[in-house]
Amino acid sequence: MNNEFLWRNQMRKQAEAVEPAHDLWPAIAARLSATAASHRRSRRSQLGWLAIAATLVVAGGAGLTAWRWQRAVPLPPVAMTATDAQPVAAQPVVAQPVANSGAATAELTALDWAVPDDPALVASAQNLDSASAQLQDALEQRPDAVFLVGLLNRTNSMRLRLLRKSPNAG
Amino acid sequence: MHGAALSMNVPGYEVPLRADDTSLVRRSVAGDTAAFEQLYRGHVGRVHGAILRLVGMDRARAEELTQDAFVRAWQKLSGFRHESAFSTWLYRLGVNTALMDLRGKHDEVAAPDDELEFAAGGEVPFCAGERSDIERAVSKLPPRARAVLVLHDVEGWKHEEIANELGMAVGSSKAQLHRARGLLRRALADS
Repeated sequence: MNNEFLWRNQMRKQAEAVEPAHDLWPAIAARLSATAASHRRSRRSQLGWLAIAATLVVAGGAGLTAWRWQRAVPLPPVAMTATDAQPVAAQPVVAQPVANSGAATAELTALDWAVPDDPALVASAQNLDSASAQLQDALEQRPDAVFLVGLLNRTNSMRLRLLRKSPNAG
Repeated sequence: MHGAALSMNVPGYEVPLRADDTSLVRRSVAGDTAAFEQLYRGHVGRVHGAILRLVGMDRARAEELTQDAFVRAWQKLSGFRHESAFSTWLYRLGVNTALMDLRGKHDEVAAPDDELEFAAGGEVPFCAGERSDIERAVSKLPPRARAVLVLHDVEGWKHEEIANELGMAVGSSKAQLHRARGLLRRALADS
């Protein structure tokens, strides 16, 4: 037998399974749980941003429809009423997100967003209402996101303009 | 190592008869950690053994890397295509985890291949050694030379596979093996 054969034969005998001195499973299981929790957080965050992106698309589409309608059918100016929406203030939302979100929802409910008479605007109004609700949900999750406050103000503002175009408004 | 029932060498544990790897993998992919635990218990010895030899019998480091390997396996399991045996896939992943650790260390100065051959001192006659002597001598080899020797002579890899995993030329793998064998034979002769 040559050296190479003897050597390889000797070395191959080293290739045995060796169980660890400690059971590694509890530590591995803990890391798997942490990984799963992190994955869930990441997924929730992704869904949140997807919702915001969808909201922007919806609000943009509704705003475009309203803008086209406004250009096509110019209406006489409507006087401001007591029900004109107040812009959502950024600071209170940051300080007390849950309470103010509830207040904002209550405000929307009180206004009862009148449905425009023009059927062409009904879908836009519904889209804007939906966008507004989604933005408020997003604000509950990310109360520190100032840009969401800006988006919510713009969406509510568009919705009010739509309302004012309704012949029965005010 | 895969398939039917397995023995469990860790004290205090008795592994029940386990299902075949394919169904355990499918259950694990669906998030069943109990199924993955069965895979762990069935394969940890082989994976840990290979890692232990690659890290020079450093038991604490080997256990850390074995944990890493199984966590990586859990994360990558959905990419396992059942084209090879699960045991082979897991073993390669374990070895790769140890080699990644080796590649992350820059404390070994790369020497030219001809210098490696010279350092090996040419052909050294076969030298028999006790298992523990061989393990001790292998653990004292420089990390890259040890990795090549363990993968080629112990684990049975080809130079092409080793070169690919370690990011070196095939000639470098051969030179490292020559060097490692020379150093190892001398260490065994001295012991």
